[in-house]
Amino acid sequence: MAAKIGKYISQFTLVLLLFVLVILPLLLLIIQWLTGADKAVLLSFISRETLLLVSKSLLLSSVAAFLATVIGTVCALLLYKFRLLFSGFFKAALLLPLFVSPYIFAVAWKDGFYWVFGNTAAFYSVAGVILVHTLVFFPLTMLITGSALSRVHAGYEEAGFMIVSFRKMLFKILLPLIRPALTISFLLVLIFSLSDFSVPAFFGVNTFTIEVFTQFSAFYNYQLAIGQSVLLLVLCLFLMLAEIRYLSDAPFFSVDIRGSVSKRYDVEKQLIFHAVLSVILFIALLLPVFMLVIQSLSGRMLFFEQAWELIGPAAFQSVKVAFTGALLVTATGLWAAWMQERRQFRLPGLLLLFSFIVPSTVLGIAFIRHFNTPSLNFIYGSVLILLITYLARFGFIASRIIGNGIKQVPASFEDAARIMGISPATRFYRITLPLLFPALFTTFVLSFVLCLGELGTAIMVYPPGTELMPVKIFTISANAPQALTSSMTLINFAVVLVFILVFLFIGKIIFKKFQYV
Amino acid sequence: MNKYFSGLIAVLFLILGGCQNNSNEVVVYTTVDQIFSEPILKDFERETGIRVRAVYDTEETKSTGVMNRLIAEKNMPQSDVFWSGDPVRNGVLQSKGITESFQSEQTGMIPAHFKEANDNWIGFSARARVLIYNKNLISAASLPTSILDIVQPQYKDKFTLANPLFGTTTFHMAAVFSLWGDQGAMQWMDGLKENGVIIASSNGDVKKRVMNGEVPFGLTDTDDAFEAMKESSDVGFIFPDQQTDGTGTLIMPNAISLIKGAPNAENAGKLINYLLSSETETKLAMSCAQMPLISGTKTPENVPSLDDIVAMKVDYKKTSEKLEEIQPWLKQWLQK
Amino acid sequence: MYKIILENIAHSYGDKQVLSDFSFSFEQGKTTYLVGPSGCGKTTVLRLISGLETPSQGIIKIDGKIVSAEGKTSVAPHQRQTGFVFQDLALWPHFTVFNNIAFGLKERKASAIKEKVSEILKLFGIADKAKKYPHQLSGGQKQMVAIARSLVLEPDILLMDEPLANIDIKLKESILQHLKILQQQLNFTMIYVTHEHSESMNVENCIVVMNAGKIEASGSKEEIARSENSFVKSFINF
Repeated sequence: MAAKIGKYISQFTLVLLLFVLVILPLLLLIIQWLTGADKAVLLSFISRETLLLVSKSLLLSSVAAFLATVIGTVCALLLYKFRLLFSGFFKAALLLPLFVSPYIFAVAWKDGFYWVFGNTAAFYSVAGVILVHTLVFFPLTMLITGSALSRVHAGYEEAGFMIVSFRKMLFKILLPLIRPALTISFLLVLIFSLSDFSVPAFFGVNTFTIEVFTQFSAFYNYQLAIGQSVLLLVLCLFLMLAEIRYLSDAPFFSVDIRGSVSKRYDVEKQLIFHAVLSVILFIALLLPVFMLVIQSLSGRMLFFEQAWELIGPAAFQSVKVAFTGALLVTATGLWAAWMQERRQFRLPGLLLLFSFIVPSTVLGIAFIRHFNTPSLNFIYGSVLILLITYLARFGFIASRIIGNGIKQVPASFEDAARIMGISPATRFYRITLPLLFPALFTTFVLSFVLCLGELGTAIMVYPPGTELMPVKIFTISANAPQALTSSMTLINFAVVLVFILVFLFIGKIIFKKFQYV
Repeated sequence: MNKYFSGLIAVLFLILGGCQNNSNEVVVYTTVDQIFSEPILKDFERETGIRVRAVYDTEETKSTGVMNRLIAEKNMPQSDVFWSGDPVRNGVLQSKGITESFQSEQTGMIPAHFKEANDNWIGFSARARVLIYNKNLISAASLPTSILDIVQPQYKDKFTLANPLFGTTTFHMAAVFSLWGDQGAMQWMDGLKENGVIIASSNGDVKKRVMNGEVPFGLTDTDDAFEAMKESSDVGFIFPDQQTDGTGTLIMPNAISLIKGAPNAENAGKLINYLLSSETETKLAMSCAQMPLISGTKTPENVPSLDDIVAMKVDYKKTSEKLEEIQPWLKQWLQK
Repeated sequence: MYKIILENIAHSYGDKQVLSDFSFSFEQGKTTYLVGPSGCGKTTVLRLISGLETPSQGIIKIDGKIVSAEGKTSVAPHQRQTGFVFQDLALWPHFTVFNNIAFGLKERKASAIKEKVSEILKLFGIADKAKKYPHQLSGGQKQMVAIARSLVLEPDILLMDEPLANIDIKLKESILQHLKILQQQLNFTMIYVTHEHSESMNVENCIVVMNAGKIEASGSKEEIARSENSFVKSFINF
């Protein structure tokens, strides 16, 4: 009885902690908005113009999400279903665009476009925003759909081959089987695209998020900005809740090959597949990196030394904070996923979902207002505020990845230990946790990359004197020589690349150890 | 289990242990480009031993960091000093009761015109609005001599301007509205739109577009223009409206304010005095061609003197108030 | 004497009623076969007896003591002295065969554990597989490991959920023979679930024929063969 009470108290305490640290600031902000504003002003943002702008933004982001999902799925099919030479290289290289800020790539692509075509008018448009968002976010869809394709049992495809052609099997059997992965890919990119303001701002395209930030930044009109954010929030919440309601039991994402009896096809003429992948790689990665290199060398002097002086200290600090943030995000994701999958307690996952869909500026404002008090200054004035930010921004993704991993651990594994009298803690640490290592590792790596690149909220709450790489590049780039900014970006890229390579090396060992599962 | 959590706790302590607060410090929020402001702050740190903890931002890039932080932190300020690239932001903060009067021997050295009547902000090291141009696309002689002339047909689709909702461009538009009246200013801005004005995301973006040859000329600040000239010999600039009877060009001083309730008020005073010095003005003149306000300050030869520029006659306070008034119209203009 | 008594057991998963008014008593030291088509509730019976599920209605007694009643479990699974061989075997993939079997042993000394595990591995003829991982074993070997793991704790009750599916007849007979000998030695009560009625018809034990959560018939193989129940006739003759 005492053990049960203790269990409930600890469960309740963790939920309460998550609520107080992450959700309460947001709720208080919304409540202040609801109670503070003149009733007439309260809903003034719901106007024809606003609704048109929302529709335009949704359409823009939907197109980007659709294209990212298509490109990601094509890459996933080629890399995960066919035995191609150099597939490992392409898998790693095509992930890299995810690791650099969309804004930096927008600048590089624009310059590349100008270099090739001599004119950028077409780029400063909705098409430019869609292009950049598509190319920056498609690696995420590639990961998700690739993982789903790896888990499709070969029997389904082989049964299809007995009666129809490959093409028909692909569209009538294989793709429908990974429909949940396609849907969640689409929704995630949609939300990331909707939330981003840096790229539309750069291209001069007015979107709903720009409108929100304009109210914050130019008019300091918190009431209107929060109201508009609430509208955006409700939209995203509706989309995500629909996904959870209809697809929550479906696999989401994991890169381990546990239980993989997936069919892979041999290809004779690999040239055309390599050509497709190379074109995508060129446009998504090589061209912008090439432009960054050209820009960094185009100044009257080389700026690498100065760039390293500026960004070196920020790099060390960023890595430290991102590493800790990734640990926290992964641990919380594990707890939330465990509660959902094994205890049918969905609240932690829903709380993380809510914080995930809040626009980054609103999150920043909420955190400032909530934590900037004498009693909580130990959080606000330290890197703890950054850790909480990372948790709010990425906890949801972590919980979904790990949740999928938990789904793949048969309940009978734990039942067998339970029957034998193994305690719950031992069962968890000796049976379940080791089997989740691949999913936990994947979550950690992805969280690390996301934390390292987080800008929208971090720039609002980072403690004075703390240097973070993305913030520094963003602020320095305002009036630094282009060559210096490009040099700093390349160093940023190199730092991320080094860590990714280290993680890939470690991951190879971990996955090899668990590949028999 | 213990292994995992011990490791986690150890890492947390490692991180948190590296972030100890120093009691002898000053916290400054600045919207002046980090590339220029950071070296000055590091010099102060080195010379005084007072640790400077800075939050950088740029008003151009629409990140809402500094201004919104200051407003949100009003009841419990984290910052001691606000260093802005123009006095408009300080005016906004003053209107919200976030700044405090500061007077010292140094503030006395600044001309009255370049500080708020009650010293809620004090100006130093000024920039000016200029027309930056690409020599390969347009000659200096062909440039408009007045910003009024930009609406003429020969400049159609050739001019770029930063988003007027942010940064010094907002300030410039507010000054234009104050000077010419609402009707005149609106007519001019509508004329710009009809003449195909290209809206850039920031003054830095104006600089880049002109440098790259995407647009022949644009309106920006002196520090952007000088940076462009350092990077490329294809770029030049002129001060518009320099005729004897011209309206003059807008002069925008840096502005420094003491934050009300600053946690380190004494150190804040030291930093403010340090910034309001000839030495600092010389450094800013050398790094980004900002023009000193303190007489007798040494500057490089290529940095113009305020005495040689016909300045727009502006009341900074009224311009601040005008700015808040015209912003809704500017937003509509932008979306036309 | 009855080891396990189920009285008026009803159980559902959500809206789906899996067992209704199920009552049966399992004799001490005997083997009872639960047979029936897929989905008729056989596995549910095992899970209820083991304590992994709690019946919505009814009472379960082991050795005369109520262990579950009316939605409450008063005796936890590990306190019921049961061994369970799962349908998917549930061999932990990251443990060797040795560790899979040794994991539940409470002996303090490593030598004692080693002795016990080695003994049972030898009994099943897989002593040379001790250091192997499950993925390195054949299907039959995996099943023997799963059974060995359940037996090493010397349970009073052994629950087997289709443990010999998909292995050849010769091996099946060999394992069943092992089990028979072990049962005589250890005197445990065994409940064996299968959907293959032919498995049950080859041994001299009690057979319970289930269908749709209910008992259609029970008794010895002769009694089952003589049953007038139409379902039992069609199932046995299938």
